[in-house]
Amino acid sequence: MHTQIQPNWFSTMIWLLLVALTLVTFSIGQSGPAGSGAMLAVLLIALVKGQMVANYFMGLRRVHIGWRILILAYFLIVGGLIALAYQLA
Amino acid sequence: MKTQALTADSFAAPAPAQAIQREGLPGDFAIWIFILAEMLAFGILFVVYAFARSHDVDLFDASQATLDRRAGAINTLVLITSSYFVMRAATAIRQGWSKACAGWLGGAFLLGGVFVTIKCVEYADKFAEGITLTTNTFYMFYLSLTFFHFMHVLMGMVILAFIIAKAWRGGYSSRDYVGVETGASFWHMVDLLWIILFPLVYVIR
Repeated sequence: MHTQIQPNWFSTMIWLLLVALTLVTFSIGQSGPAGSGAMLAVLLIALVKGQMVANYFMGLRRVHIGWRILILAYFLIVGGLIALAYQLA
Repeated sequence: MKTQALTADSFAAPAPAQAIQREGLPGDFAIWIFILAEMLAFGILFVVYAFARSHDVDLFDASQATLDRRAGAINTLVLITSSYFVMRAATAIRQGWSKACAGWLGGAFLLGGVFVTIKCVEYADKFAEGITLTTNTFYMFYLSLTFFHFMHVLMGMVILAFIIAKAWRGGYSSRDYVGVETGASFWHMVDLLWIILFPLVYVIR
């Protein structure tokens, strides 16, 4: 039923990276007035975090690639539309 | 000769397919339909929020400044860590460790409680200031989006509680852990949504 089990040290590393990226997002939020650059950076970080959770915590890395593409497409479309709305403002 | 070649081909064909064979989705397939439906609903709301903001940037930015960004960031760390715990629980049960699985899930459940508590404090602060759904467009979105998500956290905690009880009784094994993966997938989705919700509502301006 199952093939490989993800090593715990690897999962822990992913968790630490997620924590670090969250702190980066928070510090961008704290650093006064933001702009397009900050907005894009924060959305990009969300995309990377989403991929890490989907692939390594949800385990989509082990299933058909279509599911990974679906989650990636979700973040690209939702994030892209948020960025577009920001630029229109 | 030709028949022989055909036979050889027909036997050879499945081999590469087997080599790239992948596992099915973790957990019950039905939960994935639910996850996609929920993500779609939230995704639409996220985009609607962004376009609503584009019509009144000053109001959104001024209202956002009243939010407790620190609380939002702490809750992000709480959910990410709970997701990690749930992941470790799924790894434990794949190795047949029922009690360890229940323990990791118990940790995730407690962190869910921390998230809910922090969110309640945030809501209480806002209500004390007289802020409601009708105060302005930003607060309407802030309160409804985060409350919609809040309800998913509560639902996730109920699911986790059932799985913890069953895991503790030894109801799952290294061969039968679909239930754990189903609950885990739902919990990860709750985390995934907050990963967009936090920067969108608390950070981007």
